[in-house]
Amino acid sequence: MTISRRQFLKSSAALALLEQISRLDALAAPLAGSDYRALVCVFLFGGNDSNNTIVPTDASGYADYLKARGNPATGGLGLAQSSLIALPGVNYGLHPGLAPLLPIWNAGHLAMQFNVGTLNRPISKAEYANAANRPESLFSHSDQQAQWQSAVSSGPSRSGWAGRIADLAGSNGALPLIISTGGNNLFAVGNATTPLAIPANGGIGLNGFGSNPTGSPLFGAMTQLRGLDAGNQLVQAAAGTMNRAIAASSALAPVLTGTSPVASLFAGQNNSVAQQLHQVARVIGARQTLGAGRQIFFVSHGGYDTHTDQLNRQATLLGQLGTALKSFYDALNQLGALSQVTTFTQADFARTLKPASGGGSDHAWGAHHFVMGGSVKGGTYGRFPSLVLGGADDVTNEGRWLPTTAVQQYGATLASWLGVQATDLPKVFPNIAAFPQANLGFMR
Amino acid sequence: MKWHGISSALIALALAACGGGGGDSTTPSSGTTPPPAPPPPGASVSEPDALRLLEQSSFGPTDASLAAVKQLGIAGFVEDQFAQPATGYQGFAFLDANSNVGCPTGSASNCFRDNYTPFYLQQRFFQNTINGKDQLRQRVAFALSQILVISGRDIGQPYAMAAYQNILLNQAFGNFRDILYEVTLSPAMGDYLDMVNNDKPNPARGTEPNENYGREVMQLFSIGVWKLNPDGSQQLDGKGKPIPSYDQDVVEGFAHAFTGWTYPPRPGVNGKWTNPRNYEGRMVAFADHHDVAAKTLLDGRQLPAGQGAEKDLSDAIDSLFNHPNVGPFIGRQLIQQLVTSNPSPAYVSRVSAAFNNNGQGVRGDMKAVLRAILLDSEARGDRHDEVSYGKLREPALFAVNLLRSVGGSSDGVYLRAQSATMAQDVYSPPSVFNYYPPDYPLPESSLQAPPFGIYDATTAFARANFVNAVLAQNGIAADASVPGAVGTRIDWAPWLALGGDSNKLLDRINLLLFHGALRDDVRAGIKQGVDSVAATDSYGRARAALYLALTSPQFLVQR
Repeated sequence: MTISRRQFLKSSAALALLEQISRLDALAAPLAGSDYRALVCVFLFGGNDSNNTIVPTDASGYADYLKARGNPATGGLGLAQSSLIALPGVNYGLHPGLAPLLPIWNAGHLAMQFNVGTLNRPISKAEYANAANRPESLFSHSDQQAQWQSAVSSGPSRSGWAGRIADLAGSNGALPLIISTGGNNLFAVGNATTPLAIPANGGIGLNGFGSNPTGSPLFGAMTQLRGLDAGNQLVQAAAGTMNRAIAASSALAPVLTGTSPVASLFAGQNNSVAQQLHQVARVIGARQTLGAGRQIFFVSHGGYDTHTDQLNRQATLLGQLGTALKSFYDALNQLGALSQVTTFTQADFARTLKPASGGGSDHAWGAHHFVMGGSVKGGTYGRFPSLVLGGADDVTNEGRWLPTTAVQQYGATLASWLGVQATDLPKVFPNIAAFPQANLGFMR
Repeated sequence: MKWHGISSALIALALAACGGGGGDSTTPSSGTTPPPAPPPPGASVSEPDALRLLEQSSFGPTDASLAAVKQLGIAGFVEDQFAQPATGYQGFAFLDANSNVGCPTGSASNCFRDNYTPFYLQQRFFQNTINGKDQLRQRVAFALSQILVISGRDIGQPYAMAAYQNILLNQAFGNFRDILYEVTLSPAMGDYLDMVNNDKPNPARGTEPNENYGREVMQLFSIGVWKLNPDGSQQLDGKGKPIPSYDQDVVEGFAHAFTGWTYPPRPGVNGKWTNPRNYEGRMVAFADHHDVAAKTLLDGRQLPAGQGAEKDLSDAIDSLFNHPNVGPFIGRQLIQQLVTSNPSPAYVSRVSAAFNNNGQGVRGDMKAVLRAILLDSEARGDRHDEVSYGKLREPALFAVNLLRSVGGSSDGVYLRAQSATMAQDVYSPPSVFNYYPPDYPLPESSLQAPPFGIYDATTAFARANFVNAVLAQNGIAADASVPGAVGTRIDWAPWLALGGDSNKLLDRINLLLFHGALRDDVRAGIKQGVDSVAATDSYGRARAALYLALTSPQFLVQR
C-alpha cells in the first residue's frame, strides 16, 4: 500500500523531521530583512464599482464617463463632477465617500493602480475573442474572488498568494503569519500553513475553565480526544482547527480583550470594516509582545454587488471604507507603524460602465485599486482605460475593461516589499514571468 | 446577488444578542414513544444503521425516532417521512415594506426587530426543526435553502422569508422544475436577485436588463459553470480543459428573457409597472416591459422573437431544467448536505440517474432523488470507515442535533443567536453563495468540505462555548422581550437517573450521539474526564460526559 503525504505526516517522527526541514527551508529562504512589516488586504466582496470610485476630471474623460453612465441630474448612474474629491496633481477625483483619504493622498501615502485584473498573460482585445486566452469563468463572483486571492487564473488553486508567502516564511513567533478578521478565505490558505481567523471584534477563548484551563482534568481530556481518531481526515481537520485556536488564544486573548490604545480613533464606527481594521490595529500594536516579524491580515468588507440602487448603496459602503481606512492610517501612525504596514484593496471585479435596469451595474473585469501606507510612493500607476462603450478597452459593449495590469504584478509588488526575494516570486506567483514587470513601482 | 463580508455575520449576531421568540412552548421530543406495532416483513434494521439514517435524514436521532425506524425499516421510514405534512411558517402577515409605516413613532420597542428582521422566523426554524414530525422535509428544505439562496440580510421582512421558505418546504418532495419555477417567480427572490422590475433595454436611458438573476440561476441554482458528466466530474475538451456551461451571451439571453416582471399587486389594487413591494404570491408580468427580441439560451437554443414574458420564462426554465448538468450538480450538493462531503463519482451517478428518470419516465422527482441518496450503499454501508467519509455538522444542525439527541426544549431564541455566532445565521447567509461553497477545500488534503468554510478558531470556540452554556443545569433563561418565551434547557432527568455512572453515561452517549460507533480510545478519554468529577455529583458527571462528547472532533463530523 502506498503512503499518502497526509498519512506520512501523521507519524510523529515524520513530523519532527518535517519541522527540521521547514526550519532549514526558513534559513535558506526567509523573507528579507529583520524589521517588522505587515500587509493588510481589504477585500471588497461583491465587486466594487471602481468606475464611480475614481473618475477622470479632465473634460474629455469626464464627458466619456458621463455619456455612458448617464447624467445624475436625469436619473443616470454618473456622479456630478462637483461632488468628486479632486486630487491635487492629477486629473482624477474620488467618490465623495472617500474624502477622508484626501490627506493621505496629500501626504504622498496613497497610490492608485488603474485597471488591474485577472489574467494568465497580457492579452489584446483581439486575443480576447479566443476564449482559450481568457482567465476561466470571467464575471463569476466565486471564480474571480478565487483568482484574485490565489493569483491563479487557469485551473483551480487550493492555496492563496498570501498563504504561499506564509509557506515560504516558515515559523513566525506565537501566531501564524496570516490573521483574518474576515473568516476563512483562499487568500490566506497555504499548501503547508493554515491561517488564524479571529473575531471581527472581541476576544477568543474557551469559557468555563477559569484562568488556568491546563490545570483542569476536563481540559486535559479534551486535548487528548483531539489526538485520537487519526483515521478520518475531517475529524483530524476539526481537531487541528481547535488545536491552533487554543495555541493562539493564550497569546492573543490579552491583546484582544485589554484596553485598545487606538479605540478613540475608531469611536462611533460600528460597521464591520471599521471593527475589523480596529482589531487589526490592536494586533499590530502588540507586535513586539507577540514576536511577529512579518504579518499579513485579511479584512472583508461586503455588500459591493450593486446590481440595483448603486448610488445609495455604494455611497454608504465607500463612506464606511474611507472613514475606516483613515482611522486605521491614524492608528498606525500612533502605533509607530505607519511605514511598516501597507494596506491595499482587492475585489471580485469592477462593474459595467453601462447601467443595468434598476439603477445599478453588472459584473465586469479590470478595476482600480488603492494602496496606502508610509512606504507607498503616492500617485497613479498603470493606464486608465478609455471610458467608451465598445471602445478600445471594452471587451463587450457594456464597459468591461480588459486589464492592463495583472493581479500577479500587483501582488508581487506588495510581496516583494514584504520581503519575498525575487528568486522566490515564482513560488508565490507561478506565472509571474508571463508579465513584463514583476514590480509596478508603487512601493519604496 | 448581494454580498456581505463573511465576518459581518459575527457582527450581526453581536447586535442581535437579545433573543426573541413566537411563544409556542416546546416539548422535549425524546419523551414520546410511538405505539408499538409489529415490524413489517423485511424491515429488519440494525440499531446503528437506524441511528445513522436519522443523522442523515433528520435533525438528530431521538429515542422516539429510533423506535420509528426500527418499526418501519429504512425504506419504510423514508416513505413515512414523505407522507408527513409540512410544518411550515404560518401567521406572518403582510406589512408595508417601509418600516416607518410599519413601525411608526410610538410603536413597541421591538417593532423593527419583530417585523423587519428574520428574528421570529429564525426562532420558528429552531422550534420546527427540534419538534417537527416532518424531519426529512425540514432537513431537505434547509438543504435547498442553502442551494437556492435568499438572505434575511436583504429580505428582512419575516412574511417575505416565510413565503419563500414555504415554497421549499412544500416542494421538498415535489419536482425540481416546480421548485425552479416557483423560486423564479417568488417576489422575495425577485427582490434578492433583482429580477423584479427588470426592464427591457432602454436606449434612451442607456440601460440594459439586469443580469443578476439570469447569471446566478445558472451558476448556483441549476447547472453550474462547467459541463458535467453524470458522475459530477467535469467534461473535458480535446486539450484536457473543462468546458464552460455558458458564456456571457447566454447570461444576457437569460437576463433579457427574465424582463417584464414586477411585484404582485395587493388585493383590490390595480397593478402597474412597477408595483410597490409585496412578497405574497407570484410576480406578475407587464408586456410593455418585456423584451420581445430573440434570445440565446443554453447550448445554442434560441427563444424566438415575439414571445410574451410568461412563455419566455417558462421556456427559459425548461432550458435550465432539461440541461444534463442538473442531476449531478444538484444531486451532488444534496448528498453533501445530507450524507457526506466527498461522495464517490459512482454514488453521484446513481443519484443523477434517479434525477433523470424516477423509473416512470419522470425527470426531477425529488422523492426518487432522496431515495437514491438515503438508500444508497454509500449512505448505508461500510464506507463510513474511510478516511474521507462524512461531513462536518454545520452549526444549525449541530445545535438542533444536540437538543434533540441529548433531550431538551427550546423556544429557539438562544439557538438562533448562537447559530449566528457559530457563523450560520439561519436563512441569512452573507451572499447568494451561501455560508460556504460546495467545493470548499479542506486544508492540507485533496478533499472538499463545505462546512469547514465557516469553521475556524473563532467559530471553534463559539461551538465549545455554546455547548458549555447550554449544559448549564438550569439552562438558558427565557428572553423577557419575547412573548411566551420559555428559554432553552436540557432535560436532565434521564441523565441524572444514571447516577453518575460513567459507563452508563457513555453507553447512552454512544447510542444517541455516535450511533453505537464510539471508538474505544475516545470512550476511554471521555471516561477519564468524567471520572475526575466526584462520583456523588451526578449532574457534574453527566455534564462532563456530554461536554467532552459534544465538543469532540469525533462528534463534529457526521459519518
